[in-house]
Amino acid sequence: MDNFSALLEGFATVLHPMYLLYALFGVFIGTAVGVLPGIGPAMTIALLLPLTYTLEPTAAIIVFAGIYYGGMYGGSTTSILLNTPGESASIVTALEGNRMARAGRGAAALATAAIGSFVAGSIATVALTFVAPVVARWAVQLGEPDYFALMVVAFITVGALLGSSVPRGLASLSLGLFLGLVGTDTLTGQQRFTFGVPNLADGIDVVVVAVGLFAVGEALYVGSRMRHGPIEVIPVEKGWRSWMKRDDWRRSWKPWLRGTAIGFPVGTIPAGGADVATFLSYAAERRLSGSRRKEFGKGAIEGVAGPEAANNAAAAGVLVPLLTLGLPTTATAAIMVVAFQSYGIQPGPMLLRNESALVWALVASLYIGNLMLLVLNLPLVGMWVRVLSIPRHYLYAGILMFGALGSYALNFSPVDVLLLLVVGLIGFFMRRYGYPVAPMVIGMILGPMAEDRLRRSLAISQGDLTYLVTSPFAATAYAAIVVLVVAGIWLRRREQATGVTATATASVGDDR
Amino acid sequence: MSTDGAAPVAPTQPGEPTADAGPPPPPIPAHVEPPRRRWGELVLAVATTALGAYVLLAAGSITVPGSTNTLGPRAFPYLVGGMLVAAGVALVVLVLSGRAGEEEGGEDVDPTVRTDWRTVALLAGTLVVHVFTINVIGWPFAAAILFAGAAVVLGARPWWRAALVGLALGLTIQVIFGGLLKLSLPPGPLLEGVPFLHG
Repeated sequence: MDNFSALLEGFATVLHPMYLLYALFGVFIGTAVGVLPGIGPAMTIALLLPLTYTLEPTAAIIVFAGIYYGGMYGGSTTSILLNTPGESASIVTALEGNRMARAGRGAAALATAAIGSFVAGSIATVALTFVAPVVARWAVQLGEPDYFALMVVAFITVGALLGSSVPRGLASLSLGLFLGLVGTDTLTGQQRFTFGVPNLADGIDVVVVAVGLFAVGEALYVGSRMRHGPIEVIPVEKGWRSWMKRDDWRRSWKPWLRGTAIGFPVGTIPAGGADVATFLSYAAERRLSGSRRKEFGKGAIEGVAGPEAANNAAAAGVLVPLLTLGLPTTATAAIMVVAFQSYGIQPGPMLLRNESALVWALVASLYIGNLMLLVLNLPLVGMWVRVLSIPRHYLYAGILMFGALGSYALNFSPVDVLLLLVVGLIGFFMRRYGYPVAPMVIGMILGPMAEDRLRRSLAISQGDLTYLVTSPFAATAYAAIVVLVVAGIWLRRREQATGVTATATASVGDDR
Repeated sequence: MSTDGAAPVAPTQPGEPTADAGPPPPPIPAHVEPPRRRWGELVLAVATTALGAYVLLAAGSITVPGSTNTLGPRAFPYLVGGMLVAAGVALVVLVLSGRAGEEEGGEDVDPTVRTDWRTVALLAGTLVVHVFTINVIGWPFAAAILFAGAAVVLGARPWWRAALVGLALGLTIQVIFGGLLKLSLPPGPLLEGVPFLHG
């Protein structure tokens, strides 16, 4: 029960009026930025990093928790209400939610998404509360080779396996690993790939790379082929009554729970995070729909309720490996690691012991943020709609400006902004030619950690490579990789054979 | 999910899987790629390979101190270099055999228009101007130049409205971040004496 009292203490911290204000600020700004089209949760956090540079750690972590959940909420509003033809089906909610909105049921879609997110977020946060300490206790026993195995799993699943093109994922991952190499080697103090430039001796800042790839790269890419003309936001009917009818409730509650049950476990394993969870939930709902099956693709409320719940449950699930193992499994989580590190907090098995107050404050603020989001979201739909129709030239100019601010404020050196532009151009070309950008960020953050673990393992074993695979955990992890790769190849074959196209395969976007 | 497999009946397409005995291909319109597009992709693939080759070569010149046991500072770079070369070569082959990447979609991306390189260059140029003006005229004004420049390049009219919005945004951020959050953004010579703008 000592976790419970720790959690209560966390609540005591967060319920302090000042911190409540920070939490409200976080969820508000997170939703507002998440609603903006073209901005996924990863970019939301990357862009908003400078907001917290000067805050003390607890306040900053609370703001981040809010931004994290808020960004997830905001995204669904965008996909439901923005009337953009075609291809933004990378998020399955877009498919059904958008159809519902076009059929005049936008309010119901928004409501089932918001309430489903709340239900899933709350249940998943409870699960996080109980699972995280168990995992942390278990993680303490893991050895160096086990951690290395975990990171290899993360590289493979996030990097190569789940994208649409394996070589492109591998290229992106390797580029990230290379960027992670630049700087001074931690174990021997040797400079690597610094080209004698003193600025590079400390390594390239991950914030610059993340903001460059997500924000500047996106702005340049959208700029290169911008959709001109008026922005069509699907109007939403006003008033409480139209939100959810009795029938909508009846059809939604099971998908919410199923989505949660699918989302949380998928989020906790390094398997690609929220995207995979939403896709699985969508597939499950379609399979279970029975007589309503023909509604799918035309605006089935189950197709919004399930994936939306899965999305938020996965977001909480992702925090389990992040907090207990220090293992980011999505790009969003990777940027969270950066945020933690900038406060000198290293996520990992010791975090729960050393920074227990901070962790439980974070968990408590997730509960509270979730509640705030529910209260904030439904009544403020009108405002989010207005945010959605912000002129695109101002939107992307603003993204560029905030990106520049974020990297400039790191060291107050214009050189960082120049580096930002270079990374942004790389991000532009990667988007243009279908290279996923998320593996690059993951590779850059996990690469140095993985190298460290690998070299420590081999130092312990005195060069014996079999030491890497002999521990039961590591052996299981490598076996799992083989299974995942084989399953991935099989799925892709099947997919090609049955001709399931863009709608279902969820070409993985930048919001992982 | 690459763009191949869309037209297995076309014998002119090189590198198409010939043993495609599955059901007929999905009726999505095949991306008819103008051949020019492939050059850029090829350059990117070759650049990846070249970077990998460079990493492999340069890794050899990393100093290994005598005290290192087993795995020194060179091993991981060799691995990364190898991965880059492998991915790069695979991509060169893919591109040459006609399997181009699928460019990313997005809410504000119009999939039907061609890439407007002028906009990309102008946006990048605006950022460069921003970089070199920060220390000269101060952050709020450099930010205003960045915002207004980018907005006008992206189609904001009239230009003076974008400039006004940019200036207002720059000053607001300066007050919030510099004044309230104590981030030491340089206010510039013009606003040197204003106390609430300082970090």
